[in-house]
Amino acid sequence: MPTCKCTWAAIVLAAGLTFPSLVHAHGFTGDRFFPPTIATDDPFAVDELSLPSVTAFDDPSADGIPATREVDWGFEFDKEILPHFALGISDDYISQFGRGQPSTHGWDNIQISTKYELWHNDPHETILSAGLLTDIGGSGSQAVASSFSTFIPTFYFGKGFGDLPESAGFLRPLAVTGSLGQSFPTSSDDPNQFQWAFAVEYSLPYLQQEVKDIGLPRPFKDMIPLVEFSLATDENRATKGLTTGAINPGILWETPYCQLGAEAVIPINGHSGSRIGFTFKAWIYIDDLFPKIFGHPLFGKD
Amino acid sequence: MKNSPTALAAICITLLLMVPANVLAHAFLDHADPKVGSVLAKPPSEIKLWFTQEIEPDFSTIEVHDSHGNRVDKQDAHQDSSDKKLMIVSVPALAGGEYTVVWKVVSTDTHHTHGTFKFTVKTQN
Repeated sequence: MPTCKCTWAAIVLAAGLTFPSLVHAHGFTGDRFFPPTIATDDPFAVDELSLPSVTAFDDPSADGIPATREVDWGFEFDKEILPHFALGISDDYISQFGRGQPSTHGWDNIQISTKYELWHNDPHETILSAGLLTDIGGSGSQAVASSFSTFIPTFYFGKGFGDLPESAGFLRPLAVTGSLGQSFPTSSDDPNQFQWAFAVEYSLPYLQQEVKDIGLPRPFKDMIPLVEFSLATDENRATKGLTTGAINPGILWETPYCQLGAEAVIPINGHSGSRIGFTFKAWIYIDDLFPKIFGHPLFGKD
Repeated sequence: MKNSPTALAAICITLLLMVPANVLAHAFLDHADPKVGSVLAKPPSEIKLWFTQEIEPDFSTIEVHDSHGNRVDKQDAHQDSSDKKLMIVSVPALAGGEYTVVWKVVSTDTHHTHGTFKFTVKTQN
């Protein structure tokens, strides 16, 4: 098996070195850069490395399991395999701290994602994508991860408002990204869910570079304030109709080689938690740091 | 397994140490003269664009168009000889009106980016 891994690594490296052409990557549609966001998976099938992500929040009691304070440490790696088609892998290390209970720790199930960019419209800064998220049951620690798998076909979208008329100039930096997913757990105990998330962003870089230079100094001219909504509605079982989730106001900060993001996690109701949490995530621009290997599909050209 | 967050932190640090010393990135517009979205009392003789990274002049362009879409620049876009992040294009005496600057650049690590902005020259009375 070690030989097999070395072979694959050599193939990946060789394929990367074979494509010295212009590098695209990042999430561009027209003049719009859509940054990756924390709670809402962005619609781009590009090379991305998120490391680390840290989230602390209340996990409310349910099904007789007492409420816990949970801290997740995670990562995500996505690679464009074919033009506009990417594969990803992500996981979280979960620590649960219960009141009067021993704490539990362990890796969550591995999540594999596929995503394909269906349609771009550059003048209207619009992108549509579709993909499948697969939570592999039993791949994580028995203490914190479920034993069954869940499949989530998901539709993604992004829309920038740079095509608004000049009279609406200061609204042009606005953009929305979102995802709509339908979960299918392989266990009859868990409900099917409609998972919906969207992010409303105001890009100060877009304001400065495309609309009006208002003289913002660094680091503010590289920041993107945003609000994310991450929600799930149960469709069957005992909790049919229940919607849980959080509203996350925060900020993203673009630097030449990475993006940093921090948000508050505000539960939308008592079923979603009782205290405000926080989340932090760093994305490393691997296409900038290692342009010969990343920033283009493994096979074929953009 | 309880050391997994430490392991993640170690991976982050290792990745940072693997970063080449001379890394380059996408070239975005840092600022321009005339400023993005500005209104000028006096027409400019050239348009200057400063980028966040050094650029490849052979693969980089700047065009200036009037409000009818006609190209009005002198088609002499070039990199400044002393500042590799600066591109300049000359324009003739511009009449009053709105102008659009369209730029496409390739940074020295082959990433390409593009953008558009407008400026206005006040009509002389």
